[in-house]
Amino acid sequence: MKYDVVVVGSGPAGSVTARFAAETGAKVLILERRVEVGVPVLCGEGISQKIDNWGMLEGKRWIASKMDGAKIYAPDGTMVTLSKEMAGNETGYVVYRDIFDQELARQAAKAGAKLMMKTEATELLVDNEQIKGVKVKQFDEEFEIEADIVVGADGVESKVGQWAGINTVLKPNDLETCAQYTLTNVDYKSDYCEFYIGKKIAPGGYVWIFPKGKGIFNVGIGILASLSESGMALKLLDNFIAGHSELKKGEPIRLLAGAAPVAKPVETVKDNLILVGDAARHVDPITGGGLTTALEGGKIAGETIGRAIEQQMFDEETLSAYETGWKEAFGRKLRRDYLVKEILLDFDDKTLNMLADSLKDYKFKEFSTLSLVKALVLKHPTLLMKLKPLLKVSKESKED
Amino acid sequence: MGKPKAKVDGEKCLACSGCISVCPQDAISMCGGRAFVMVDKCISCAICIQTCPVGAISGEVY
Repeated sequence: MKYDVVVVGSGPAGSVTARFAAETGAKVLILERRVEVGVPVLCGEGISQKIDNWGMLEGKRWIASKMDGAKIYAPDGTMVTLSKEMAGNETGYVVYRDIFDQELARQAAKAGAKLMMKTEATELLVDNEQIKGVKVKQFDEEFEIEADIVVGADGVESKVGQWAGINTVLKPNDLETCAQYTLTNVDYKSDYCEFYIGKKIAPGGYVWIFPKGKGIFNVGIGILASLSESGMALKLLDNFIAGHSELKKGEPIRLLAGAAPVAKPVETVKDNLILVGDAARHVDPITGGGLTTALEGGKIAGETIGRAIEQQMFDEETLSAYETGWKEAFGRKLRRDYLVKEILLDFDDKTLNMLADSLKDYKFKEFSTLSLVKALVLKHPTLLMKLKPLLKVSKESKED
Repeated sequence: MGKPKAKVDGEKCLACSGCISVCPQDAISMCGGRAFVMVDKCISCAICIQTCPVGAISGEVY
């Protein structure tokens, strides 16, 4: 069977890429190694409300709740608030990631993409040094799928990139290792997403509490793998919950482990190949959030693929319109937030307390990491020295 | 006796893929919904052991 495009992975980046490629008339196949799209959920399930402007998801079933804003707690409990009143009413959603992913897959199918379940890509199909598709295993059957373009949408552990010679191995200081409980019957009223930082709470990361409505909360932790020990993420999360009486009263209805790349983006294009989403390291290095960039990047990838199929040109140069596109859309933000991540990692708890104290009455204009960074610099001009490499990033991107 | 190599406890693994993404040798894969270490490729760096959020990986001397 020959397709124009085979997409490895049915997560948000894969489905959105497939959808926009299929909408141009391309023959698209999505492979999913699991038995259900979006399951198991491996995510904190928070997303910015700016996705409303993109019209990629219909209906509201994928929305669990709308946040009123964010509260960030410093190690000593000092609270910094970003509320919707200040942020022009645009904050974020907590979503049901399984329904969210299935809605995006539905949109891909509606555009004409085909899906195969329980089908795992095992290696690239290569002929005369040219990528010609993928070899797959479906249940116990092995076969080949030919395609002009292979899309690696295979997540944080991306193998597709490595098969094509792209070094996607993450250094331990570029990975957040995570655990999360979904707690029910929690006696706690909050429509804010909450973040708790501090070396003892979550070294190199944070604990999050995301409200899903009806007393249900996602309570999770991400810690930097380089600061982790075996089993530490889950232990620290258990400690956190044990120390918060209202959470402790809740009962878990879901436990999950996860991993989020907090790295610099990799090379995303080769002849006949494209990487999207977590596989492309399109994740904000401060928050570990990668949903908006997966959608934004997936759209650019799908449109680029559509043009490539039209011209029947699948070389790196043709496909590099995707790399140019995502760099314009969010490349600078990723590079900036990577630098900020490194600076934040150097701060001890005392410094974090001091920074939180200076921002506790600050009126944020926007619900974003950028507005947080701007506020920090405004309050502490000496931080500018540490942020000096950022100025270089701005300058370079202007030259781009 | 060689250095301890990574071994995944299939009962504990929650299939988050963190270990796979940090393995410098591409020695770990998902197999039947659990991480699986290809012992021949493992170089005993222990990065996966340190990374595992639930403590499902330990060192075992072969």
